[in-house]
Amino acid sequence: MTAIESTFKKRAQAAVANKTLKAAIERTASTAEKKRAIAIAELPDFSNMRSCAKRIKDHVIANLDHYLETFERNAVASGAKVHWARTAEEASHIAVDICKMAKAKRVTRSKSMLGEEIGLPHALELAGIECVETDLAEHIVQLAGERPSHIVWPAMHKSREEIFSLFKSKHEKPPVSEEIADLVLSARRDLRQKFLTADVGISGANFLIADTGAVCVVTNEGNAELTTTPPKVHIVTAGIEKLVPSIEHAFVLLRLLVRSATGADITQYTTFHCGPKRPNDADGPEEFHIILVDNGRTQMLADGMEEMLRCIRCGACMNHCVVYRQVGGHAYGGTYPGPMGAVLTPVFDGLKQSRDLPHACTLNGRCAEVCPVGIPLPTLLRQLRSRSWRSGYEPWLTKANVSVWAQFAKRPKLYHAVSKIASKVIRLFQKNGRIRWMPLAGNWTRHRDLPAPASRSFMQLQRSRHKENGS
Amino acid sequence: MSLARKQIMGNISVALAHREKADEHSIDQEAVKLLTSFEPELPGLSIADVVEAFYTRTSGPKVGASITRISSMEELIDTVAGVLSEKGLVNKIALQPDRALVDLDWGQSGFQLGKEVDDGVVVGIARWGIAETGSLVFHSASDMPVLFNFLPSFHIVAVRASTIVPYLESYANAANIAGDPTPRNVCLVTGASGTTDIEGVLVTGAHGPRELHIILIDDTNQIVGTYDEN
Amino acid sequence: MMPDQKPEQFSKAKNSPSSPRIGLFVTCLVDLFRPNVGFAAIKLLEDAGCEVFIPKSQTCCGQPALNSGDVENTKTIARQVIEHFESYDYVIVPSGSCGGTIRTHYPEILADDPEWTERAAVFSSKVFELISFLTDIRGISTVQARCEATATYHDSCSGLRELGIKQQPRRLLFSVEGLTLREMDKAENCCGFGGTFSIKYPDISNAIVSEKTEAIKESGADLLLGGDLGCLMNIAGKQSRQGQKVRAMHVAEILANMSDGLAIGEED
Ligand code: SF4
Repeated sequence: MTAIESTFKKRAQAAVANKTLKAAIERTASTAEKKRAIAIAELPDFSNMRSCAKRIKDHVIANLDHYLETFERNAVASGAKVHWARTAEEASHIAVDICKMAKAKRVTRSKSMLGEEIGLPHALELAGIECVETDLAEHIVQLAGERPSHIVWPAMHKSREEIFSLFKSKHEKPPVSEEIADLVLSARRDLRQKFLTADVGISGANFLIADTGAVCVVTNEGNAELTTTPPKVHIVTAGIEKLVPSIEHAFVLLRLLVRSATGADITQYTTFHCGPKRPNDADGPEEFHIILVDNGRTQMLADGMEEMLRCIRCGACMNHCVVYRQVGGHAYGGTYPGPMGAVLTPVFDGLKQSRDLPHACTLNGRCAEVCPVGIPLPTLLRQLRSRSWRSGYEPWLTKANVSVWAQFAKRPKLYHAVSKIASKVIRLFQKNGRIRWMPLAGNWTRHRDLPAPASRSFMQLQRSRHKENGS
Repeated sequence: MSLARKQIMGNISVALAHREKADEHSIDQEAVKLLTSFEPELPGLSIADVVEAFYTRTSGPKVGASITRISSMEELIDTVAGVLSEKGLVNKIALQPDRALVDLDWGQSGFQLGKEVDDGVVVGIARWGIAETGSLVFHSASDMPVLFNFLPSFHIVAVRASTIVPYLESYANAANIAGDPTPRNVCLVTGASGTTDIEGVLVTGAHGPRELHIILIDDTNQIVGTYDEN
Repeated sequence: MMPDQKPEQFSKAKNSPSSPRIGLFVTCLVDLFRPNVGFAAIKLLEDAGCEVFIPKSQTCCGQPALNSGDVENTKTIARQVIEHFESYDYVIVPSGSCGGTIRTHYPEILADDPEWTERAAVFSSKVFELISFLTDIRGISTVQARCEATATYHDSCSGLRELGIKQQPRRLLFSVEGLTLREMDKAENCCGFGGTFSIKYPDISNAIVSEKTEAIKESGADLLLGGDLGCLMNIAGKQSRQGQKVRAMHVAEILANMSDGLAIGEED
């Protein structure tokens, strides 16, 4: 327990000290923040639009069984094969099996956080299948042997110089310069032939459209369609919370998703895939598989965390999070970083392992303010804190401190007597009204002074003034 | 039924046991109601006329495309020729196998029609246009290969004014009314392929087309501005 | 549980029947670190025609327990606060985060306790943060105060997002003679305090507060104001460590014309 906590702290500490990382995060996140603000301001009524989006998701979650059945029925009717997976292992197992059946040597994958969540790249590697990440940022992260640090910009922590040297050593034809356009061109060249020679293409889903059985995927690069159209087999991995009743409902959410993520009004490519290639179609996959993944979602539904199932993975909460902006995505140690990750990682990896994530938050509420589906992230984080407290996962020292403090707080007379003494003691350490160091307050005074307590408390002063007033 | 499915559905019904389970019909009705409550909040179209709005939108900074307006399909070939020569490109194109395009006499105007889509020039035609976002909508079919939207370096797309609808939702509605069969693949294309993955800087031509040029055909002056959603 | 003690009335017997009776919850930080804020609150409330009482049995709103996940102790503290304060017409708190805890979170944590659900809901509707109470409930739009300074105002998170406090303090500050208000960049950004967060994750907290002090410096202000003592102690503590000359005070001290004393972290 302590080891894991210190691990988060260590990662965060290292990140805070890393100026290059800080500059990289700031560059992308602050642009995203500004562009989102403009896009939201241009909407006639963001708060009403958000409440519509929230109601749509809530409606689906309240009728999740109905929508899953409807979706499955319609997807099967369109020729898709629908698979169900309870856990991450089961999901990646199914995907790997499909690839094996197709005798796949090379698989292309367009960015999907669920794929990361279920450990699909790793599972494919273990099965000896080449897995090519096609989203530019995922491509960079894959070549560097790293993990995504953001759900929208997985490589936001990397500078162009780092990417240049990475591409130089990994691309058959290296980029001609450090210019970003040349780097993009180099990746385009490297990936184009892989798109066309892959045996299976794997994508995620932004929305599952219940009434048609279609799967909606959005990208700006167009890599999703290039991933899923040429190969014989298209596999979709999707969380069961991705359902929406119809394409119109998807559009309501899409408007908010894109604005919240990048500040654009729509992505360059918004595609609805419905089943495999039809007899007269000019192209498309012959097999179309959809893997519906639970992996903790029904547990969230049962555990009072169902509001988190509204999440549409826009990344706004992390772009606006003061902690994320300081430590970056890797410090969180899970698939999902930032506020939404601090809620999800305890669900996926166990609260015991990740109890520090819900605590590593100032509860300032900015994330909930910008979340396009109104998820009360601070409330959920508080909920996880109390769950951790009840389960005995909190370090004994924290428990002892809070419990002792509470004993005083519950006994006003004792409280005021003790605080009077405490103030006196603390004041022994002051110089010019400030305390630069004192025992037990090292974590505060490491970086800042502590203003000294007043020589007499409000309650004391008030009582004597009261007496002077003669009442 | 797989065991996994059974367990997932079982977990859901246990988790949702407290709710009053509604019948399918009322669930559907509720879903529809959620949409109507939303209508007044659609992003404003600055110009009432949807075709004008589409034009403004696609020629503006948000979409990142270029656009030419012509008054009939007959002008298409010359327009494409003009666009290509402006870019210093030769008249070598691949045509989306749509009748409306294939039936035109490209050869006479000195065009070389090829099959080379990969990194070449593709001339296509969109099934619909959406004014709100400046999107072009493609329905996959025998005459619409999905990859034609993604493999070329330069994508030139014709769209008829009569097929432009105001909002994203109106597209779904209009396609229904027009009796379009639900295609395997619906693709909304809004601008050229782009990425901001490196240092947040926008670069086009990430994987798909580097440039998108739209040719708006004002085919039905009467219909312009009279599009009726109902 | 402690028996209730006779509360002390502070008002100079303004016994007009229309005067609302106020229970002032001074907060633990004000009590220990900055009594002047408590007296400023009393003055402002009295000037606004209220009768002010200070229940002796008050300690802390329970935030340290709540934010640590210790719901049981928070509940006990919440019940105690409700018992001691529910007889007043209003409960006024000179802090957005304590106000938010009492107003927003007490009903939440007591929601599973049938005996207390209703009681907590009724109680919470009477709880207000000091400045927003003055403007929104008492309709105060100006104060009689003077302060020669260029001030910048930090929007503390709980006040801003849980209680909607944004324009209220600025409106009143506008009427302070001699005071110029200059907005800092990202005034709404968290200062990195977060209660126990600042002690549990000192390095992250430090990185955040450093951006705040930088923004304050950039604004060119010589006085930092805010509505939450926790945040002010955090920022002022950092400024003092950095050797910055910006003074820090609670907004109530300025509005009550009680700003001639020492600022936060100056020797008394
Ligand atoms: S929690 Fe909200 S803001 Fe964060 S990624 Fe999900 S939808 Fe976006």
